[in-house]
Formats: sequence, C-alpha cells, structure tokens
Amino acid sequence: MTETRGEPDVEAWAESGGRERAAWIGWVTFAARLGLAGVLFWAGWTKFTEPVVLQRQAVDAYQILPEALVGPVGVGLPVLEMVLALLLVVGFATRLTAVISGVLMALFIAGIASAWARGLAIDCGCFGGGGPVAEGETKYLQEIVRDVGFLALAVWITVFAPGRLAVDRKLGL
Amino acid sequence: MGKASRERSARERIAEQRKLEARRDKQVKTLAVAGGALALIAVAVGVVVMADAGKDEPAYTGPLAPTSRQDDGSVVMAKEGVTAPVLEVYEDFQCPACKGLEESSGNTIKQLAAEGKVKVVYRPFRLFGQDPLKGNSERAANAALCAPGDNWIKFHDRLFAEQPKEGKVGFENADLISWAADYGVSGAAFESCVNNGEKGAQVQAMTDHAFNTAGVQSTPTIVLNGKNVTDQAWSGDDLAKAVQEAS
Repeated sequence: MTETRGEPDVEAWAESGGRERAAWIGWVTFAARLGLAGVLFWAGWTKFTEPVVLQRQAVDAYQILPEALVGPVGVGLPVLEMVLALLLVVGFATRLTAVISGVLMALFIAGIASAWARGLAIDCGCFGGGGPVAEGETKYLQEIVRDVGFLALAVWITVFAPGRLAVDRKLGL
Repeated sequence: MGKASRERSARERIAEQRKLEARRDKQVKTLAVAGGALALIAVAVGVVVMADAGKDEPAYTGPLAPTSRQDDGSVVMAKEGVTAPVLEVYEDFQCPACKGLEESSGNTIKQLAAEGKVKVVYRPFRLFGQDPLKGNSERAANAALCAPGDNWIKFHDRLFAEQPKEGKVGFENADLISWAADYGVSGAAFESCVNNGEKGAQVQAMTDHAFNTAGVQSTPTIVLNGKNVTDQAWSGDDLAKAVQEAS
C-alpha cells in the first residue's frame, strides 16, 4: 500500500469504518478520557491542597520562569489541571481540551528535560511536593516516560474525539 | 433544458444549501463550545490567581521581642517573663521550604512574640548533606552562630532573602560578612569566626540535636510545646490559632 494516512483520514476511518470498529474506538477514547482526567485531577488536587508557598517553590525549583510568573503559575496550574480533568470526564469541547492537555504534557516534559540537562537535582513536583532533592534521588527518566504516556493519551483523544458518553456528542458535534 | 432536469437541479441545489447550512451550524456550535470551555478555564484559573495575589501576609513592622543566644546555640525571641507556650523553629537557611515558611508565617511569629503570646526558639541547623547545598548550608549556619543573639533576627531574615538557588554555590563568607555589617555586626572576631568556620562543632551539635533528639525529618519543622504543628504553621492565621489554644 502506498497510500499515506494523515489525521483526517484516520478520523474518517474511525467514523465510517463499520459500526463495530467505531464503537470499539469510541469506548477506548472514553477510557482514555477517564484515564487522563484521573491523572490530571489527582495531580491538580495534590498540589492545590498544599500550602501556597510550596506550590510556588515547586515551580521556582525549575529556575525557568521569571519571579513574577512563579506565583501565578504555582497556584494557577493545579486549577487548570482540575478544570481540564472535569472537561475530559464530561466530554465537553473534548478535542480542544485534549490539545491543551497534550501541550501541557509537552511543556512538562520540556521542563523536566531542561532541569535534567542543567544538572539540577529537583523533584518534578508533578503530584505535589517538588523542590530540591539529593543528587542521585532524581527520577527524571521515569517522570518523562510517564508524561510521554499521558501525552499519548491526549493525542489519541485529539484524533478520535469525542468518544462515547460525551456532552459533545449530545450537542451533535 | 427539460422540466424534469430543472426540478432535479433545483432539488440538488436545495440539498446542497442544507448541507452547507448544517456544516455552518456545526462550526458555530463547535466554536461556541470551545469558547465556553476556554471561558471556564480562564475564569477558574483567574479567580484563584487573583485571590492569591491579594493574600500576601501583612508585613509586621512593629517592635520585635528581645532576642538572646542560648548555650546550645539556639536563639530565643520572647518578651521578658514569657516562658510559655514554646514555639521551636527548626530550619536550614538553604532550604527553600523554610524560606517559604518565613514568607508565609514569619511575620506572624514575630508579632506573636512581640505581643508576649509565645516564646520562640530558633534552632537553625544543617539539613543538607551534599554539596553545593551542604557547603552553603554550613556557612550560613556557622555565620548565624557567629552573629550575636541580640539583633539576630534581621540577619536571619537577610539569610533567607539571599538564599542561593538549587545547584548554585552561595552564602560565601565575604557576602555573609558584608550582610551582617548592614545590621551592625562586624569586627575582627566575627570575621574570623565566619572565615574559619569556628562554630562548625556547634552546627554539628545542633544538627545532631535536630535529627536525633527532636526527631526532625524534614525542614521546616515547627514544634509547639513539643507537638509538631508544621502543617498549621504554613498559614499565619492557623499558627496564631494553634498558639492561642496552647496558651
């Protein structure tokens, strides 16, 4: 086969590729939404319920953002994660939400890789905590691999949105 | 063109028109939904960020309670005659979370002591065991022990304000000496104490005390009458409440 398939083709295939196959993909997409939502909500919640200074400190430890942005990102990010989780669960603006989640994961990966490359010894603070750790206690590779997995979920949802049990579908999107 | 074919082409045109309208409807709906989602995100994030921005702890600018150095190296800050409740602050000048606690509750601690509601005992020690953190931590703790106990708080605050970033060497002896001079701490004895790490043994003793006697697992650790109240201490209000209840 010489035919190349871009995203729209895959999508068309998903929608028109026979009732059984479409149903299967719809449920997997639904499961991916729940999975990504669960991770995002947990990550947001553990940070959100921490003292604000620790949220700030987790962001500050990356030494990437200017001082003025550390605070807003520190407190805003957990809320963003939780709202994205909510949207994914109900399947509202699913594709847009998946794209934003994917971009967020890509930024996390870039941030962790940057800390690693600069020889910092920090915890990613992905699920609360964060800040400096002893050298040899960093888990950069695991953190990146894990986030790549979540990025894959976001890509899947973006391609096959909205999946089963989605508000988008009720709205005829 | 025959009548039949004219009708057919009219029907086709109508069908095409409907399809176009349906597509446009869907586009409008998609945009509306996307806009709704973005608005929800913006409002939720905006509300928390704004709420946080307006919630900085009010700076305490009033007079401080007197401070004095104890034999074990700790510094007591208490109004005369105030012996209870006792609030112990275990901290490392290189520890970002300790700096965070200073920012969130440092003013409250000073105010409580100034109002005679609590006796504060600062117990700086060296948490970190690996360079460059260890060296930074050691030099700062040593200098904090070299500085006299009266007027110590300002130097203590300055150390947190100047805390080096993770992975950077900081708290150089020359800097420590020049910061101390800003608060009237100077002289050959102080300089030699800083430069030669003369309080190294006491830093070690205070570190042993924190880990082995007090059972400190992480910094900061805030202890009120022997009870770990670090969780409450992150909020100045909660800490004040805990002190109120302990007295």
